[in-house]
Amino acid sequence: MRVTTRKSLRDLRRSRAQVVAVAVTILLGVMIFVATAGAFENLTASYHHTYERLALPTYIATGGDVAAVASAADDAGAAATGTRAQYDPPMLIAGTKLLGRVVGMPAGDQPELGAIDVTEGSYLSAGATDEAVVETHAASTFGLAPGDTLQVYAADGWHEVTVVGVAVSAEYIWPARSRQDAVSDPHSFAVLYLPEDTVNAWFGPDNQALVAMPDRLTASSDNAVTRAMDDAGATAIQAWEDMPSQATLNEDLDGFDEMSKAFPALFLTAAGVASYVMLSRRILMERPIIATLMAGGARRGRVLRMYLLQGLMIGTLGGVVGVLLGALANGAVTSAYTSALGVPDTIVENYPWMIASGVVFGVLVGLLGALFPALAASRTEPAAAMHAAAPLRPPGPWSRLVARLRWMPVPARMALRDIGRSPRRTIATMLGAVLSMVLVLASVGIMTTMVHALETQYDVIDNQDASVAVSGGTDAAALEAVDGVDAVEATVVGQVTARADGTGYATVLRGFRTDTEMHTFLLEDGTTTTLPASGILAGVGLADVLDVEVGDQLTLVTEAGDTTVTLEGLLAEPMGTYLYAAEDVARGALPDGTVASYDVLFADGVDRDTMREDITALDGVVAYEDSKALLTTVQQYLGLFWAFIGVMIALGGVLALAVMYVTLAVNVVERTGELATLRAAGVPVRKVAGTISTENVVATALGLPFGLVAGTIAAAGFLSTFSSDLFTFELWWSWWVPWLAAAGVLVASALSRIPAARAVRRVDVARVVRERAV
Amino acid sequence: MTSTAVTTDRSVRLTGVTKTFGEGDAAVHALRGIDLEIASGELVVVLGPSGSGKTTMCNIIGGIESATAGGVTIAGEDISDRRPAQLAGFRRDHVGFIFQFFNLIPTLTARENVEIILALTGKSDGRSVDELLEAVGLADRADSFPAQLSGGQQQRVAVARALATDPDILLADEPTGALDLPTGRQILGLLQQLNREGRTVVIVTHNSSVARIAHRVVTVVDGAIESAEVNPAPADAADVTW
Ligand SMILES: Nc1ncnc2c1ncn2[C@@H]1O[C@H](COP(=O)(O)OP(=O)(O)O)[C@@H](O)[C@H]1O
Ligand SMILES: [Mg+2]
Repeated sequence: MRVTTRKSLRDLRRSRAQVVAVAVTILLGVMIFVATAGAFENLTASYHHTYERLALPTYIATGGDVAAVASAADDAGAAATGTRAQYDPPMLIAGTKLLGRVVGMPAGDQPELGAIDVTEGSYLSAGATDEAVVETHAASTFGLAPGDTLQVYAADGWHEVTVVGVAVSAEYIWPARSRQDAVSDPHSFAVLYLPEDTVNAWFGPDNQALVAMPDRLTASSDNAVTRAMDDAGATAIQAWEDMPSQATLNEDLDGFDEMSKAFPALFLTAAGVASYVMLSRRILMERPIIATLMAGGARRGRVLRMYLLQGLMIGTLGGVVGVLLGALANGAVTSAYTSALGVPDTIVENYPWMIASGVVFGVLVGLLGALFPALAASRTEPAAAMHAAAPLRPPGPWSRLVARLRWMPVPARMALRDIGRSPRRTIATMLGAVLSMVLVLASVGIMTTMVHALETQYDVIDNQDASVAVSGGTDAAALEAVDGVDAVEATVVGQVTARADGTGYATVLRGFRTDTEMHTFLLEDGTTTTLPASGILAGVGLADVLDVEVGDQLTLVTEAGDTTVTLEGLLAEPMGTYLYAAEDVARGALPDGTVASYDVLFADGVDRDTMREDITALDGVVAYEDSKALLTTVQQYLGLFWAFIGVMIALGGVLALAVMYVTLAVNVVERTGELATLRAAGVPVRKVAGTISTENVVATALGLPFGLVAGTIAAAGFLSTFSSDLFTFELWWSWWVPWLAAAGVLVASALSRIPAARAVRRVDVARVVRERAV
Repeated sequence: MTSTAVTTDRSVRLTGVTKTFGEGDAAVHALRGIDLEIASGELVVVLGPSGSGKTTMCNIIGGIESATAGGVTIAGEDISDRRPAQLAGFRRDHVGFIFQFFNLIPTLTARENVEIILALTGKSDGRSVDELLEAVGLADRADSFPAQLSGGQQQRVAVARALATDPDILLADEPTGALDLPTGRQILGLLQQLNREGRTVVIVTHNSSVARIAHRVVTVVDGAIESAEVNPAPADAADVTW
């Protein structure tokens, strides 16, 4: 082994604790990177595998003559095409009425496009008429298994079907009726696969054209195939990425992707700074030795390399161990995720580029952290060897200023002055505080914002307790007569495509009385407005999707034809991007339906299950959605996020402690003489450690304002990556959240008293005193 | 100083003290059986060549190093069996150290270097900081930082700091080692004066001229006491030269 290598190894062993702290931060950064970037790749691969296996169509077109649309796509170069019937009829499942969905499938054989994976029971048998395969989410919500029966409502009344199987579908990995219903009461939606002849007989002809491109998962909004479909009369063409399930999952994946880059970056930055501080200190201490080497003719390049080698060793250690742990965590993260979401295929792979870049990141951080100290070392003047110890520097203006603060206890004055004594150390500590604040605030901010958004949506905006769909027999008066019902309003709900300048957006139009009690129209500035007598209000998401602003004209396209309306206002609604209009405006734009909708308000303190039973028992009530059940469901789902936040806060703590530990250890080394003198004078270890941790706490406090700003920006940035037409999140937290985060980081820094005491106790007073004598 | 009551025990007693660093082949026997008694109010100079064990002895007396074997009783307290970590209280109550290189905290003014000891040890029953600085003749430079003081002035601050806890025994390890003759002489004068006020003073040095101010001169060679001679006529520090 070369002598420089041996020296480096020995040096690293001597400052084991600091090396470990730096290596652990690098390790964490690399590990999180490998685990999350790998999981991101794996999740994408898992989804795509399912999409390919179950032949997810590239496009689903509606409107026009779907057979003509499909054959136009075929002629224009599609790889496969088909048509199917899909309707959303009322259903009665296990005593619950809801608006479900039926999809026609060829009996006996899976379709060429849009196949399903039967996980329990069997597929529809050839020639069957009243068999059904239930989508897995509905099966578990309602406890359905093969052999159970349920009712489906068609124009001619209720029909009974028998469940023969339970299946997973690529279109419902995340079960949602439409993009607007990404989060909904699970009891309000169910997908049934019925024989196609049955669907055609009960509900109507095929109304969807399914198209697969040669390269299935490559969709573009403008190509020969989509143009041909357009020309053949399709009114809406949805690419696979925009399908409700895919869009929701992509939102989620995008956020995941952001974090898989941002969090490792935080750790690696911290690790770089920590290793910089540590090596700078070592080189400062070794200046006389380096100078002696230089005086003896050592080459600058060699000295540079000797110190770079130490950074390289730490970086390699952290990188390699981080990659190993990350590769293990990758599989666990991927599987946890796919099983939590019920993704049928789980692909776990450790990609070579991921392993390689993990190691490279570790090594780079180690090298970069060592670069400046090593350069400084290689520039040491041989003359520096002649001065045994660096001469005392005269006090700066800051020290002189603090010296005048006589009212302040001396230990506090000392801490204040030490802040300016080693700017490098102070800045490193501040940076540790900033990074921890970013980690904590970003995670907490995402959480509190989501909770706030939900509360805004379900407590402030949506006032109704339930939405009821009625098909004759029951009217508003009958609903109002139910015990516990306070108010009933007729509403209008229907699917529309809003078009402006050639772009279209498929969403839901909701009509209310202009003096409605059921919905609060919240504007972006926090004030509320009322429905205009003509024209529409829309969620702010629409402004981005269609590039429109208040006052612009929009065309609402439905089967009933086109209606031109003016956009009268944009609403700040966290969930979905809906259109709202006065009842008669909405009714005019939508096709005549057979089902009437009502929103219902309950009296205080009613039992919601009883209300569901009583209202669905009414003659003609075909669907019922408990609006507040959504909040409960969502809050359960957010449990996952809490776990994530917990992990991030813990990591933020580790990060803060690791950086502080290094700066503190360096602090002790730098001031060994002073500390030994204080201890020789009989100052207890506890008090000596206190002076060091006070300095740490002060430097941390200095970093907090920057941390608050950076954390707020980071949190807002993360949220904007989650925001789209599906969710609109604006950073929100209670006033005390940043203060609590700051207090937490301060407490963490005050805990530095513990390692400080250990370090101080380890200072061998007698030896320091002897080394200082000659 | 009025607190210098005759009843205070300020003596030092070492019996059969040995100190071995390391083990086996690498063992260094720094002290090989030291028997030494220093009376309350005595001024002892420990002489000896470099590496003879002077500092080790001084550190054991001051409780920053523990003896491998033997009895150590300082100011009436038997500290033989206490580990260094447990000795902070003992040092705070009984000893003051003065080092060759002063070891002042560079970010603190002269006054603050003394104040910090009071603040951190919680001792405030002694003299005020101003009185202490006055006593070492530095009242006018109280607000200067170490970098603005000469070596002799810095060593005076170190003496004032050692006095802050009102120690019974002052231990000075090569106090003049980093100073020129006139300055070194002033520091010796200061130590002599503090001894005359009643404190026991032990000065460790390899400079035999310093021995002239001692009541007794102990010579250490290779970890053992070679001689301990009473100086019949201790000189005044001002008359010492080297
Ligand atoms: N921590 C230590 N480890 C090993 N040997 C030591 C240590 N401290 C001192 N020594 C050795 O003990 C002997 C006495 O040292 P010291 O008391 O400092 O001598 P002096 O002060 O007389 O110059 C020397 O040989 C020295 O090398
Ligand atoms: Mg010595």
